[in-house]
Amino acid sequence: MTELLRFRDVHKIYPVGQEGVHALDNINFAIAEGEYVAIMGPSGSGKSTLLNLLGCLDRPTSGQYVLGGEDVAQLSDDEISAIRGLKIGFVFQSFNLIPRLTVLANIEVPLFYQGVPRARRHSISRTLAAQVGLGDRIYHKPTELSGGQQQRVAMARALVNNPLLLLADEPTGNLDSRTSDEILGLFDKLWEGGATIIMVTHEVNVVARARRIIRLRDGRIDSDEPVARAEETP
Amino acid sequence: MKSAYKFGDILRLGLGSLALHKVRSFLTSLGIVIGVMSIIVMLAINAGAGEKAQQELRQMGSDNLLIKSVKPPEEDTGAAQERGASSYGLTYVDARRLQDLPGVVRSVTAHLTKKAAIRGGKTVTVSVFGTGPTYMYLAKLKLVAGRFISAADLLRHRNVCVMTRSLARKLYRYEDPMWRSLQLGGQAFTIIGLVDEPGRAVATVAGDVVSNLVFVPMTTDQTRFGKYMVERTGSGQYIELVEISQVILQMTDEKAVVRGAKIARSLLGRVHDKRDYDIVVPLELIEQLRRQQQLWNIMFFLIASVSLVVGGIGIMNIMLASVTERTREIGIRRALGAKRRDITTQFLIETITLTTVGGLAGMALGLISISFVGKPLKIVPIVSTATLVIPLLMAVLVGLASGLYPAMRAAKLDPITALRHE
Repeated sequence: MTELLRFRDVHKIYPVGQEGVHALDNINFAIAEGEYVAIMGPSGSGKSTLLNLLGCLDRPTSGQYVLGGEDVAQLSDDEISAIRGLKIGFVFQSFNLIPRLTVLANIEVPLFYQGVPRARRHSISRTLAAQVGLGDRIYHKPTELSGGQQQRVAMARALVNNPLLLLADEPTGNLDSRTSDEILGLFDKLWEGGATIIMVTHEVNVVARARRIIRLRDGRIDSDEPVARAEETP
Repeated sequence: MKSAYKFGDILRLGLGSLALHKVRSFLTSLGIVIGVMSIIVMLAINAGAGEKAQQELRQMGSDNLLIKSVKPPEEDTGAAQERGASSYGLTYVDARRLQDLPGVVRSVTAHLTKKAAIRGGKTVTVSVFGTGPTYMYLAKLKLVAGRFISAADLLRHRNVCVMTRSLARKLYRYEDPMWRSLQLGGQAFTIIGLVDEPGRAVATVAGDVVSNLVFVPMTTDQTRFGKYMVERTGSGQYIELVEISQVILQMTDEKAVVRGAKIARSLLGRVHDKRDYDIVVPLELIEQLRRQQQLWNIMFFLIASVSLVVGGIGIMNIMLASVTERTREIGIRRALGAKRRDITTQFLIETITLTTVGGLAGMALGLISISFVGKPLKIVPIVSTATLVIPLLMAVLVGLASGLYPAMRAAKLDPITALRHE
């Protein structure tokens, strides 16, 4: 399997007080294309910081983050924005849809900033909306949708740019268990289609679907091990 | 090509945000609407007022020099009144010297007296100008009926007169005054012509605009009425001796006007020990007026600009609030690939759209209201391209200036913090 990303001696220190808060301390790992990784850990362990770094929303204080062959820390703000738009798909716990835009317009936001012409944006977004089962809701506003439907929109939006990496931050945290299963089913399907998924979670049913679990504690990697899925174990 | 698509999209996005809050957008741009409207109205009215005054002066001719007798202020004292007579102003000698100035093409003199004109039972005090045929051309009088005084009238000391149309209307009302007889200062005169009201420069005598003008041949004036003007006052009578009331010189060109005015000033200054004459140079007055108008323009412009600036501050305030309101949206957009300049552009487009639309509305309202403002002032407003374009450009600039800070603040937001914003 080809390597998709690598963290090398990554530190993240937030400048709070005189010494600062060491949110991530010497993180090293690599993720290959097509992996399904769950990041776990108690609150304050550095999960969100790690996800922000992975999603290029933040830069490491020191160390190297290579994504698709490029050292992200060396790039300009514009280049990093472009990477976010082209290579990464985000799914947030709170959906983060833009309330005044329709489902269709929300899905196409990443394409918008890549300068994709309107007609093409519309056709791509329509297809994706249909794929997540919202083909008949494209002109609705997020407030007119249920939580599960909103998260489907968010997933369609995360997939619209055909990303190298799909990042999910507690994607089922705000959903009931039935809807959670639906959403996780969608992730499974994507993974089976070849997507690389990294998911921050502390829900057991979510973890059960991942193929590798990275556990964090106090900003360090506590354990990093592959898991065999229940149905695959003999 | 890519960025062209993007700009069009961002423009649509900006317009969409404005359309979402229609009332707020309207109220926000109101300051700009009023600002642009008031600048346009003030500039147009000022231009109209200036043009009106300039036209009056131009009527005098920019190649003309007008020298008038003026009653000196000390003659107004009681002592002179008691003496019962006063002599001042231009003399025949002055007139001849002035007519001999270099660069004079044509010249004419006029002598003014006040007389009673009686027609039927009606008596009207009129100002009688004893003058020659060229007066009509040099004073730019407009003949509307009959003819003006001729050389033959002068030669034969004829009792003929030309009067203004308004005076004729006063005396004859519904009748045709032409060739009718009029009693003027105890003499019978035949009306041979009618002229339009002359410009203010000609009709101003000793600071007052005189009305009811009657023109007679100067030879007739001298023989029938003499040099003295007798005015009855409360305590008795007051006699004035003025040999020449006006001298109008037509010069070869504008250079000669300036030079002639200079010589006339020193010439008369040497002969007259009191300031009992006035040299009117329409050319100088036009220049002076133009400068004055420019000054007014600048002042009006500054006053009206204040409202534009206030409008701009209002817009900045609303845009800052809007940035705070949309912090999370900005975070989402940044996370999904928006560059800083995409965010800046979005907010700038919003403010520039607000001010441009506001400016266009102000322009329309300005054009509508200038006629309402101009009418009671009896001014025909003048709207030039600059009057319309400059305020609009200013509005756009105000939009740019007031939008820049909020837009930059929005672009500087850290995506993570923005995403966490509730």
